[in-house]
Amino acid sequence: MLPAAAVFYFPWEINSGVAREGESVRTFGRLTCYQPEESRATLSAQHASAQHQVAVQTMFVEPFDPVIGAQYTVLGEVENVEGVGLMVRARVLNCVDGVNLALLQKAINEQRSFFKERETKEAGRPSPADPT
Amino acid sequence: MLWGLDPVFSAFARLYIKDILHMTESIQVPGIYFYNSHPIYKVDVLGTVVYRREREDFFCYGVDDGTGVINCLCWKNELWKDQGDSGKSGGKHTDGAQGGFNLVTELKKLRQAQQSSCRLEIGELLRVRGPVKTSRQQREIMASTYYKVNDPVMAVQIAWMMEVPQLYRQCYDKPLQLQPAATGASAISSLSQATQIVRNFLKQKSVSKFRPYDVQGLLEPLVSGQTDGASTDKEPVAGPSSGQRVRQLLKEVLQILQDEGVVFRKVKSQDELYHVTEQDKDLLIAVKDVIREDSRREKYAEKGCHILHILSAVRQRYSPNVSKVALELVLKSLECNSDIVSTSSNHYTMF
Repeated sequence: MLPAAAVFYFPWEINSGVAREGESVRTFGRLTCYQPEESRATLSAQHASAQHQVAVQTMFVEPFDPVIGAQYTVLGEVENVEGVGLMVRARVLNCVDGVNLALLQKAINEQRSFFKERETKEAGRPSPADPT
Repeated sequence: MLWGLDPVFSAFARLYIKDILHMTESIQVPGIYFYNSHPIYKVDVLGTVVYRREREDFFCYGVDDGTGVINCLCWKNELWKDQGDSGKSGGKHTDGAQGGFNLVTELKKLRQAQQSSCRLEIGELLRVRGPVKTSRQQREIMASTYYKVNDPVMAVQIAWMMEVPQLYRQCYDKPLQLQPAATGASAISSLSQATQIVRNFLKQKSVSKFRPYDVQGLLEPLVSGQTDGASTDKEPVAGPSSGQRVRQLLKEVLQILQDEGVVFRKVKSQDELYHVTEQDKDLLIAVKDVIREDSRREKYAEKGCHILHILSAVRQRYSPNVSKVALELVLKSLECNSDIVSTSSNHYTMF
């Protein structure tokens, strides 16, 4: 009944194949293009002097008020659409213009490094006695 | 099972939803869960609403924090129900107060504000606190508090994402350690325990005089008990022997008893002889004599003798080592026996 958890990904990771097809993801980017007739939007973000784009299928979140040039976050499932490639079918599309992107990236990395740290720690020690 | 001693137990734990879903439930006490052997029963989460269902008296929101999705049962406030009534009464009163502050309309606005903070749409941010429940094999949060979070530039979400890993590192992922606090307490309490043992012994046996080695035996079980505990982890360290530790403990105990005036040394010499203040008949007699004789003198006849006067007289007559607290104890016990009468807080006389 409940959808799967949408894990944070950086926009440049969506197309690089880190996120698998069917996976629930959330990412962010500047809205550069919206085609209402095709229910398709494009978010873009700059990383390491390259421009990365995320194609978004907006059918589920319409109608919405598109502000071209504003920062958005999107939450949805990765889909492989013929002729377009990987696309995020949005369940949530929020305008977050004014967000501190550097801090957001830091927070995502912070969370990831915490989970990585915990996994390595857990792998290294035997499972503790059951306290129940 | 000393769950209550774990501070996490009585707090709303800010766990990742993934961890809330995977915590093991206690078999003995359903409703209590364990994260890393920390007992947990209520949590605090922040996440995006990805699922919603409205019933007559509650909402069911699916909340996604990026690690997991959990159902949150959010009861509608009582205020929702009398919404119809308030509409009518509001209409009646509006013409009564013109322009100025109208309590009824303000109340209506407040109610609307509250409703809007409870009614969320998919994609909005929700903060929920409450106990974790498992119903029909599904884990959910019974919201005790919940509200919509306005977070237009994600500041709240970012702050949360930065804070939670720190909370994990500083408390949830650390095993509960009662040991250091407990040993610190026992170090203090062993002294007060020892003092109490000696005090009781002196009282029960009506001891009037003793030497340290007479009571040393009383404290040995305290110290030997400690060595057993400590020796397991401190074997190689050559600490003081238990005999030395008993003597050290006894020295501290005697100092406390002297400071309290319970015991005193009549003569300070090589021979460590302690007198028990209240059992020292000679001291009692000396104090009574001083008060009796001096109360007759014209100078003290009216008010009685001041405690400091008695002290200096007793020091001259009996022992220079009698302290003021010791004298106070003597005076108190004499007064209890109606041997003397206090005329003010610091003056004593005798009839």
